[in-house]
Amino acid sequence: MRVVIAEDHALLRAGVVALLREQEIEVVAEAEDGEGLLRVVAGHKPDLAIVDVRLPPTFTDEGVRAAIAARERQPGLAVLILSQYVEPVYTAELLRGGKGGVGYLLKERVGDVRGFVEAVRRVADGGTALDREVVAELVQARGAQGDGERLKLLTPRERETLALMAEGRTNAAIARAMVVTPGAVEKHVSNVFAKLDLPASDDDHRRVLAVLAYLRASG
Amino acid sequence: MSGGAVQSRPADGGARAASLALALSAIAGLACTIAWGATGGLFWPMWVWLGLATALALLASRGRFAHAAPGPQRRLALHAEVTAVLAANVLLAWLFGGAGAFWPIWVWLGLGVALALHALLVYRDEPPRERQLAERVAVLTRTRRGALDVQAAELRRIERDLHDGAQARLVALSMQLGRAEARVDDRPEVAALLRDARAEASAAIAELRDLARGIAPPVLADRGVAAAVEALAQRSSAQVTVDARLPHRLPPVVETAAYFVVAEALTNVAKHARGASARVTLHEQGGRLRVEVADDGPGGANAAGSGLEGLRARVAALDGALALDSPPGGPTVVRAELPCAS
Repeated sequence: MRVVIAEDHALLRAGVVALLREQEIEVVAEAEDGEGLLRVVAGHKPDLAIVDVRLPPTFTDEGVRAAIAARERQPGLAVLILSQYVEPVYTAELLRGGKGGVGYLLKERVGDVRGFVEAVRRVADGGTALDREVVAELVQARGAQGDGERLKLLTPRERETLALMAEGRTNAAIARAMVVTPGAVEKHVSNVFAKLDLPASDDDHRRVLAVLAYLRASG
Repeated sequence: MSGGAVQSRPADGGARAASLALALSAIAGLACTIAWGATGGLFWPMWVWLGLATALALLASRGRFAHAAPGPQRRLALHAEVTAVLAANVLLAWLFGGAGAFWPIWVWLGLGVALALHALLVYRDEPPRERQLAERVAVLTRTRRGALDVQAAELRRIERDLHDGAQARLVALSMQLGRAEARVDDRPEVAALLRDARAEASAAIAELRDLARGIAPPVLADRGVAAAVEALAQRSSAQVTVDARLPHRLPPVVETAAYFVVAEALTNVAKHARGASARVTLHEQGGRLRVEVADDGPGGANAAGSGLEGLRARVAALDGALALDSPPGGPTVVRAELPCAS
């Protein structure tokens, strides 16, 4: 796996790079701003770009805009946004188009090395990795919408399953997180799909996209 | 200048001179009256009395203004007193002369015109109190707005500093703890300690994030009030449409105030007008930002009961206005107008 990173904070950039190298993930180039990201993506054709939201020169949402631009220029490029805050608007923009290979995590999750590396590999493989806070925002917004009443039909365990699915986790990972058997997870998943009236799918990734499409739909 | 000479004389000296003048006038008047008593005929001493009284009145006027602040205002006041004395003088002269055709009117007219011209000159040169106050108000408005702008900019700077400073360092710390944790898999008790330390760091990071969000939500700082209001609309339980026409970013203090007005209004819609839809309009024209949140709910909202009261002070501090219009039966409209020329 070939990774590029765009992060202006030298300490954090060095930290992420060192951590990934220790896990035998190759960081082929580093950038400090949006322009730099587009340059290293064009030059190295990486599988994954790890991007901070706030980058010079504006220190606003440069990273999100550069990541979306990089994906347009290199279709199939996986993008993992690392940020110190969760902003639902950015989530919606990243997920727009409904393609996989998208991640949005809070930076402190990097400290959970195993979880982070798992997320990095998942996103690079075209999967999804959304921070639990991102998912909580999505669920809250959806629950507030007109037909969000459906979410109330879910049992607490089913809601937990829905959230973990939206984070992009596989059944096995969900089973580990909830400390239940894979069989129990499968049952929760099929109940969630039935209650929310979603098209069922055996494919993990398509399933996540269906859940996210449901959470993002407005009205 | 005579005024200056009068003022420089000691006060008791002035009073002594006035008493002396009064005494001399009384003696002179008395002498004339005695002289008339000896000769008889028409009562001519009344003219002497009139002349002396006029002179004394003028002297008294000058004395009274001796201690007023020198300048055009004092000269004008003195002029007004002299005019009054002379006006009284000609009236008495007319009475003494047998009260025939009322000729003093012409004298008064002349005196009045002279006084009016003098006043015109003085007030053209010297700004009247109203104008001074208007200028003062303009200065205070400007400086208050400046102070608020500085405060808003400072808050955003603190948010930025937290983000790039303490928060980033804690994130780096959390990463290092994680890396250490991954290396001590064979020593579970050390790994547990490191995991606890990382949890503490995460809690601190979360607290700093909440603090920064309370100052201004990131999207407001990053993208401005139109994007932040769109984000509010997406999260609201009401059906909200947003019409934002803002060609450029507004001063931070205005953005924040407008954002919190819309946030509060939409919270009220969700709370008190279940199932209602709302329309948010942000429109800037001629250096004023107009914010309007209208819903088709049942109306009858009470400004005092809503959180809008707290926002009124915030809006007023910017010389803006906040109004709630909510007749029974609806619709409810919250309007804020904020000057936003930077």
